[in-house]
Amino acid sequence: MQHEDFHLSDQQILQDIDGELSTHEEKLVRAHLGECWKCRARRQELESAIGDFVRMHQQEFDAKLPPAAGPRALLKAQIAGLAATPNRNARRFAPPRRVAWELAAAICGVLVIGVFLALSGIGRQSQPHAHAVVISIPDSTLTPGATLLVSRRAVCSQENTKNKPVPTLVQRKVFEEYGIARADPRAYEVDYLITPALGGADDIHNLWPHSNSAAVWNAPVKDALEDRLREMVCDGTLDLTEAQREIANNWIAAYKKYFHTDKPLAER
Amino acid sequence: MSLPFTGSAALPALRATAATERDRRDRLEQEVVALFDQFREPLMRYLSSVGLTFADGEEVVQEIFLALFQHLERGKPRDNLRGWLFRVAHNLALKRHYRTRRELEARAGAKDLAVDPGPNPEDQMESNQTQRRLLAVVQALPLQDRKCLSLRAEGLRYREIAEVLGLSLGTVSLSLARSLARIARAAER
Repeated sequence: MQHEDFHLSDQQILQDIDGELSTHEEKLVRAHLGECWKCRARRQELESAIGDFVRMHQQEFDAKLPPAAGPRALLKAQIAGLAATPNRNARRFAPPRRVAWELAAAICGVLVIGVFLALSGIGRQSQPHAHAVVISIPDSTLTPGATLLVSRRAVCSQENTKNKPVPTLVQRKVFEEYGIARADPRAYEVDYLITPALGGADDIHNLWPHSNSAAVWNAPVKDALEDRLREMVCDGTLDLTEAQREIANNWIAAYKKYFHTDKPLAER
Repeated sequence: MSLPFTGSAALPALRATAATERDRRDRLEQEVVALFDQFREPLMRYLSSVGLTFADGEEVVQEIFLALFQHLERGKPRDNLRGWLFRVAHNLALKRHYRTRRELEARAGAKDLAVDPGPNPEDQMESNQTQRRLLAVVQALPLQDRKCLSLRAEGLRYREIAEVLGLSLGTVSLSLARSLARIARAAER
């Protein structure tokens, strides 16, 4: 490298800049740089190219990156979801895709209604239930309801309000918790307590087995209530959190209240 | 967050095991969230530089950290977690069909820069022109070169980059030198 016609390659210069040379190579490269202006100038050019790239890499990006709070909350909720899933290799809860990610930026935390209930010592251990039990209202210790902290605007701008199917493994877990693991799965529909169309979360605390055989307070009736509440939330006559609370507390009572009736109205 | 056990039916020994297990999970969750805070931005930057939209990037980042939680929970090695995170990011990004999106984004991104109003319009315009030219050069680089560059920009050593991308050390070194030479040329003009 001492020869005056010899110059360093970009690769050698960059390896030197990046501290990727062996001690021996580094010594030779440094010696050459010490005596060769051309290579020193090239070193500077590469350094400033690094500077340019890093600036662009960050500027392009920093101004546009949504804040971390929403994604962080989602991650925590999903880790909690993993904990609630018996088989660790089971498919995790997918993030609710209907809530657009742009709106997820507005999520500043995940609120699990009834966390206090859970923390005050009421676990999700199975409780014995008769096998053919008719369930038309969820057990509030097992299914307190869980919501994402989404804004009213986010809820009302969702176009597709159709619930996505609950994965079979999660359904099975819900059945186990309700002590109906051996019941005929067709007798129940695993339903969201707070519907995702009202900001309900993809969380086992928000899922319960609704009997298909419930003669009066069945799934279509609950769907009607959900539609009604969503309309009221979106036209501004009902607060979103209030709607979530009412449906989580006792959806049948909420139905009676909002439809001004003691029994379900005829099929719409 | 893990839920407490009812305990009434459980033997004290079992309860103690359960409590230890719960503590362990809580600690693990805290650790994963701390790593999320530290690495979300670098990972998002890397994912967006290889062409994922922010929305896709966020989803991939969620997947990465859930995988990390499970990885650590199974007691798998925890040395060089940064390399592990980027390797998983790389693999997950590969799974997504992003080529068309990248091109769309590139066009949208260039447009954004062009109309971005600044406090000093003339300076802004000039710096935007340089920026645009650089951006165009970087986006014209082969995907592999772009990956090497942005991983290096996130602080990975050549060996780590080679591991993440499954390349030889020499290839990484050459790729970086080649890309920077192009960037240097673009900046000269």
